[in-house]
Amino acid sequence: MNRGTQVVICRVCSEGAGLLDVDKLARVASDAPGVCSTVVVERACNKKTVLEIVDDAMAKEADRLLVAPCSKKEISPALFQTYAKKAKMNEFLMEAVDIIGEVTLPHRDDPTRVQPKAEAKLRSAIVRINMLEPLQRTEERMRTSNVVVIGAGAAGIEAASVASAFGLHTVIIEKSEKKIDAPGVVMPKSRLISAKGHAGNYILTIEVGEKRETLECAAIVVASGGDWREAKGPIVDELQVAKPLHHLEQEIGEGRLPGGAIIILDTPDPKGIRTPAQDFMWEEALHCATHIRRKSPTTEVYLVFQEMRAMGLAEFDYKEASELGVKFIRYDSKKPPKVDTKNGTRLIVTDMAQEETLSLAFDTLYYASVAPNPDNAAIAVALRIPISSSGGIRRGSIQRGPVATPRPGIFVCGTAKFPKSREVARLEGKAAGLMAAQFAAAGKWEFGGSVAEVTSDKCSACLTCVRTCPYEAPFIGIAGKAEIAIQMCQGCGICAGICPSKAIELHNYTDDQLSAETAAYLGGDF
Amino acid sequence: MADAKPKIVGFCCEKHGTESVDLAIRSGEQYDASVRLVTVPCTGRVDGLHILKALEDGADAVFVLGCLEKNCYYDTGSIEGRKRVEYVRTMLSEVGIEPERVEMFNASSTMVWKFPEIASTMSQTARRLGPIEPRGDTK
Amino acid sequence: MIVAERKPLGEIAEMIAPYEKVCVIGCRSCVAICLAGGEKEVNMLVSAMGLLNRRTGRTQNLDGLVLERQCEKEWVKEVEDRILESDVILSMSCSLGAQTIGDMYPEKIVVPGLNTAIFGVPEEQGVWSEKCLGCGDCIIHTTGGICPIARCAKSMLNGPCGGSSDGHCEVNLELDCAWYAIHERLKLQGRLELMDMVRPPKEWNTSHSGGRRVIVREEARLTSHQKRATEESQ
Repeated sequence: MNRGTQVVICRVCSEGAGLLDVDKLARVASDAPGVCSTVVVERACNKKTVLEIVDDAMAKEADRLLVAPCSKKEISPALFQTYAKKAKMNEFLMEAVDIIGEVTLPHRDDPTRVQPKAEAKLRSAIVRINMLEPLQRTEERMRTSNVVVIGAGAAGIEAASVASAFGLHTVIIEKSEKKIDAPGVVMPKSRLISAKGHAGNYILTIEVGEKRETLECAAIVVASGGDWREAKGPIVDELQVAKPLHHLEQEIGEGRLPGGAIIILDTPDPKGIRTPAQDFMWEEALHCATHIRRKSPTTEVYLVFQEMRAMGLAEFDYKEASELGVKFIRYDSKKPPKVDTKNGTRLIVTDMAQEETLSLAFDTLYYASVAPNPDNAAIAVALRIPISSSGGIRRGSIQRGPVATPRPGIFVCGTAKFPKSREVARLEGKAAGLMAAQFAAAGKWEFGGSVAEVTSDKCSACLTCVRTCPYEAPFIGIAGKAEIAIQMCQGCGICAGICPSKAIELHNYTDDQLSAETAAYLGGDF
Repeated sequence: MADAKPKIVGFCCEKHGTESVDLAIRSGEQYDASVRLVTVPCTGRVDGLHILKALEDGADAVFVLGCLEKNCYYDTGSIEGRKRVEYVRTMLSEVGIEPERVEMFNASSTMVWKFPEIASTMSQTARRLGPIEPRGDTK
Repeated sequence: MIVAERKPLGEIAEMIAPYEKVCVIGCRSCVAICLAGGEKEVNMLVSAMGLLNRRTGRTQNLDGLVLERQCEKEWVKEVEDRILESDVILSMSCSLGAQTIGDMYPEKIVVPGLNTAIFGVPEEQGVWSEKCLGCGDCIIHTTGGICPIARCAKSMLNGPCGGSSDGHCEVNLELDCAWYAIHERLKLQGRLELMDMVRPPKEWNTSHSGGRRVIVREEARLTSHQKRATEESQ
């Protein structure tokens, strides 16, 4: 029920720039339909003022609040909290209209247009607030705070260590048998089969050896890494002795040095057709190259890359490598290097800087790329997360955090996304472990509020929403009509915008609300 | 005659879209005052009908501002938004109204220059085309 | 399902131009599912026509509504008032819906907003492909479940023809050869002997060539005793 709106206009911010007529704004508000109280205050963020205006709202029986002229982020949260607590106002019925940000600041140079635009903004905001519904969010307790990490590579172990240091129980699922030193439980020879549930309460089915087990967890870190055996390309085809870079690292680790000249090439597929890699193991390549030159100054070492990125402290490695006489050759993927077919121990490469074609004699060739793990597809299907065209797990928008997938509670790090150096993978593992731990440690998860809802009578069960929603929230229910699983709904409204039968509305962003808001603008002065 | 105060409505997503606007404002950018923003959670929420209705209600130009397509907060929302805009533009051309009255833009929250650029593009278009009203050359 | 496409708005505008009061009627069945004539399309069309009229400086009253199934009289009847008070009906349904309204209100002018195109299968969101021509005499049990009438450009009953190459059709290399697909399917099922079966010329009188077809299910019909009194029978 809509009892009435209280409009609070704060003078101190409004008058700051001297462009607004506050009393006129107040008249606009009090003349607007649905407004039961308009108060102009000196400072709305002042505690005493807050108590006075809440009293006024209660006396006038207002059930909704609109504050001008700053954004909700800038207003003291105490104001809204007091309304919620004292006047029992619903959080979805309290809004702010950012007149300072959207009107005063950007139009200081055009002062005559400030007042009409501010009034239009206020009118439109009042139209909107009058049409809002009091929504509720639902809170769900997490049954466990476990964090599951998929993959025990550099990123995965780091993620588990961080989450465990946060005080959470961690479980690492690792497909190989290798011995792993990591906190929590490590399950070797295991893989993810399927997943049910939603953020905070995922139920995973894991295959451990021959057995199937169920594992409950609050958050998941995907650190499935890459698989060098999947790195394919003309260089490997033509040259059986081409090896992935980690072989060289292993040899060096065992104190051996390769005999004869070596080439470290970025990828076995320089055109990027079969092994689409966007990132290479730059740092590892630099480490190996400097190590060899240091131990054996006569060994020729070539680094043949499309791009060499030495980030952070790796700059020093790059400098050292140059000083030690490592030869860097940059090529263009349009002129990819080739193995000399007449003589299988030469690489023909056109140097990008000199435009000169070189024929490099070598004894061993290593490539510094890792292909996406072929298990990624199965993991993505099980967890219902997107996969990129190159076969990596795709992360969500950067605004969700650098290691977040679009699904809450699922994070991705390291080479699982696309090939990256071990150091970067470790850092990402740390970030993912921390984000997963924070998510899981909250112990509860909120959903609902401004979510989508289907009007069954209008639904044609055309499946458009089911196919289009990025979160798989819509499904066809037992009545043969679409329904929205609100735990999955993130409130984007893609389904509402695309439904051909106009059967879906997004609460508080309905067609009527948006059109009324627009009409309010267009009905006013410009 | 070109209207000195064109009417422009922008449907702006509350993620990267709004943040790019905020950043421009907080950086002291000044832009055309003819733009009125309607906030939507995601440009995927925008229905072609909202755009057409805005034009019917008197807007001279309408734009939709969302996240960059590969970095949309709601994953595929700004791709959907673009498709809605494209469809409306097709409909407009079919009824003989300049499709450039409706545009889709994408920004990331760090693109401080983007919003002033959009405001200027859209207000130039709106001034050039004027309101949707009978023209001499139509039957 | 029936798949239709919206006509270009310019063409629609011309058809409704002579009339003042236009009733735009959509349908929530096939044409909503194929994104051509549901509530969203109806609303957008009404809005776009409003803009067109603004541009041309005329006024026209457009009333948009949507029925559950426009091809059924009961649903149409529910909006009779609005049909009767309009000068023209713009049907945003398949031609069946348009004709249902036309037959029910013969004095009313009904114009089609959609081109009814095919019996199609949604291959993916936004893509429909024709797989049946409604010939009235289905033979797909002998062709591995693939209809050569609809899916072969030449509707050959005994294929493939000499124009099949690498699984594509000579009529348009982008088309798959239906008979190649039939061969592959039969091979998979171990029923390749069906390729040798000679299908005699088809009885086309079950198809449209025999004139308008009516399908009657006697047991489903209501007897004269069961039939309720309707306005027509009075």
